[in-house]
Amino acid sequence: MSAPMVTALLEAAALVALILAAAVPLSSYVVKAMEGAPMAARRVLGPVERGCARLVGIRGDGDSMGWKRYLISAVALTLVGAAGLFALLLLQGVLPANPEGFPGLDVATAFNVAVSFATNTDWQPVAGESHLSYFSQAVGLAVQNFLSPAIGIAAAFALMRGLRSGEGTVLGNFFQDVIRAVLYVLLPLALVGAVIGVAQGTPQTLAPYETVQLLEPVAVDAQGNAVDADDPSAVEEVTEAVVPLGPQASQVAIKQLGTNGGGFNGTNSASALENPTPLTNLLQCAAILLLPLTLVLCFGRMVGDRRQGRALMVAVVTLLAVGTVAIMAAEFAATPQLTADGAVYAGGFEQPAGNMEGKESRIGTGETALWTAFTTAAASGSSNGSLAGFTPLGLVVPLVFMGLGEVVGGGAGTGLAGLLGFVVLTVFVASLMVGRAPEYLGKKIGPAEMRLAVVMVIAPALVILGGAAVLVLVPAASQSAGADGAQGLTNLLYAAVSAGANNGSALGGFDANALWPNVVLGLEMLLGRLVPLACAIMLAGRFAALSPSPSQGAAISTASPLFVVLLIVIIVLVGALTLVPALALGPVALAVA
Amino acid sequence: MNVRTIGMALVRAAVLFAVATVVCGVLYPAAVGAVAQAAFPWQANGSIIEVDGVKYGSALVGQQFHDEGHLWGRPTVADASTFTGDDGQPLLWYGPENLSPASDEFAQRVQERVEAVRAAHPDQADAPVPSELVTVSGSGFDPHISPAAAEYQVGRIAAATGRTPEEVRAIIRQCTEQPLLGVFGQERVNVLEVNLLLDGVLDAVPNR
Repeated sequence: MSAPMVTALLEAAALVALILAAAVPLSSYVVKAMEGAPMAARRVLGPVERGCARLVGIRGDGDSMGWKRYLISAVALTLVGAAGLFALLLLQGVLPANPEGFPGLDVATAFNVAVSFATNTDWQPVAGESHLSYFSQAVGLAVQNFLSPAIGIAAAFALMRGLRSGEGTVLGNFFQDVIRAVLYVLLPLALVGAVIGVAQGTPQTLAPYETVQLLEPVAVDAQGNAVDADDPSAVEEVTEAVVPLGPQASQVAIKQLGTNGGGFNGTNSASALENPTPLTNLLQCAAILLLPLTLVLCFGRMVGDRRQGRALMVAVVTLLAVGTVAIMAAEFAATPQLTADGAVYAGGFEQPAGNMEGKESRIGTGETALWTAFTTAAASGSSNGSLAGFTPLGLVVPLVFMGLGEVVGGGAGTGLAGLLGFVVLTVFVASLMVGRAPEYLGKKIGPAEMRLAVVMVIAPALVILGGAAVLVLVPAASQSAGADGAQGLTNLLYAAVSAGANNGSALGGFDANALWPNVVLGLEMLLGRLVPLACAIMLAGRFAALSPSPSQGAAISTASPLFVVLLIVIIVLVGALTLVPALALGPVALAVA
Repeated sequence: MNVRTIGMALVRAAVLFAVATVVCGVLYPAAVGAVAQAAFPWQANGSIIEVDGVKYGSALVGQQFHDEGHLWGRPTVADASTFTGDDGQPLLWYGPENLSPASDEFAQRVQERVEAVRAAHPDQADAPVPSELVTVSGSGFDPHISPAAAEYQVGRIAAATGRTPEEVRAIIRQCTEQPLLGVFGQERVNVLEVNLLLDGVLDAVPNR
């Protein structure tokens, strides 16, 4: 293990410790916010909360929903959001705050982007800075960046309330949950993050893009691509460059906090405009996992046994640590193509070591690898480097993390729900091994609960593999691969996995803005979001209806180390069985070639 | 599940969507914008380095440098077909390379870049070339390189500009930023700022 990697791992450990230190008090705050308990923030924002609730027609605190109404409401808000954004993107050309005069998106692209942001995926078939107006970004995308994590948080709280034992368990009111999640959790954090971002250098303005003088003119060929000045294909000298501006800081803050991940710019947080300094890199990286990990602790508080939350946290952090070490090892090792028989220096303390292709000098290999572990563990998908520049083995962990169906942190809310699906599955397996009736937190797990848990666990994998199959088998779709052989398969596979897992990170070589990928990936994102979401809410309803049985005692304590180990094994097994064949033909084949 | 339940849910969802659009889509960015323009106007407007009315670029957007008398940054993949200026003139913009570092094409490009860098730095002979000088960054417009990659070029810049190597190093040091708390992020040299100092356009680094 190289010295820079040891340093990077220590940094990673420090960052995780920092996030956990913040998550403990934050989880207490979030539970109070979501449960309507008295607190300082509520004394200030209470009138706004009640005003919004009245507008949406909520009749006081007693207006709790059954699982059907809760689910219909969640689907309705997702679809209304997607439809609203779709219309806005089509009409972009005639809407205000469009200083660059971008035309409306075409139907397939608009469909993809609208579904993508409404499902918390934030896959982007086109680069924001060259296709989307300030209006589309701030009034369109950013609104979904708030609502989609709020929907996830709401569903997670419904599930937690369902699992909570005792008196008259109700799921709560969906719209009230969304309002509370936005008002008390997402908005305040985003405001702080955005102001720090601006202070560090991220633009926040409605002024048009800047045009600046280049210090050295650049020759371009007939297609407009930069070439060497003495290149025979040079036809013109370009003397000016563009600096994209816009309301970027406000967008970046919520993109990270809400596990959204969609950048204002095509190159996301690799762009120094979105992520100008080591401080912004550190805070954005922490923000990716802050809410997913906080919600794991919220779970312990909600079910009245914080050991339950801590046990899940141990499983999540363990998986995260293994993935982080693997990515870092691959990226610090670089490739023989890069080191070129020692002609290129890629190791040492005095400069960024490892594979610097696709990585930024201010960030370096270690923190780009760490971010990539975080962003694919949580269903964020933001990036601070170009994933296309990652080593083949460095891409295996992101693919596996996404293929697990966002359970290692996962999306805000949906990650916890997915993890609880695995927990139910593990309880069932463990109970059968010792011949007891399976129960979790005093609630019996019957065939109906098992069916829901299994669908929840398997759905992302089915969506991913289905989407990948279509992309690979339909000739018109596989044209988007952007390469041949194992590289092409890796590109297609990554896109299908990213969309189905609602992640949104992308390999740059993939040609995303074409009809087939726009439609196939759009459908994947919808199914990958709504099926597990529906299972979670139905499961919440089932559990809420069960009164805790005077039991013979659970087969295995779900807060014990043994259970944590079992849970990890089952998560890894399911994930491995899903993706290993495809991985072997894609990135692994690339690495050994 | 009846039609009325679905209808009610859709109406409520539409109202919430409208409220969220106003609060999160208009008020939130406007509030951030107000604070930004009042407290951090230079940063909020793109960190533009402007001298005597000429905008020389953003401190956060790298440029391509080939001149003997300039510090070179990361290689860029640029195009002039994405954006045009007010007078219809093409404007340069950047993107990542999107090549796998395990591909033959990548190996070939690295080889070409190594040869070009070595040809321009005879004083470095066969010393290994710092990796950032032969790899494209994640954004394609990385404004920085490491101090080691800058040091590699000191001899050439000194010879071309008639400065002593120490003078060149002093300029580079002026444009060097440290990692956060000495640990997070990397020590880095802002290439555009160095070149503006070398050209005598700037005599100090702005806004730091």
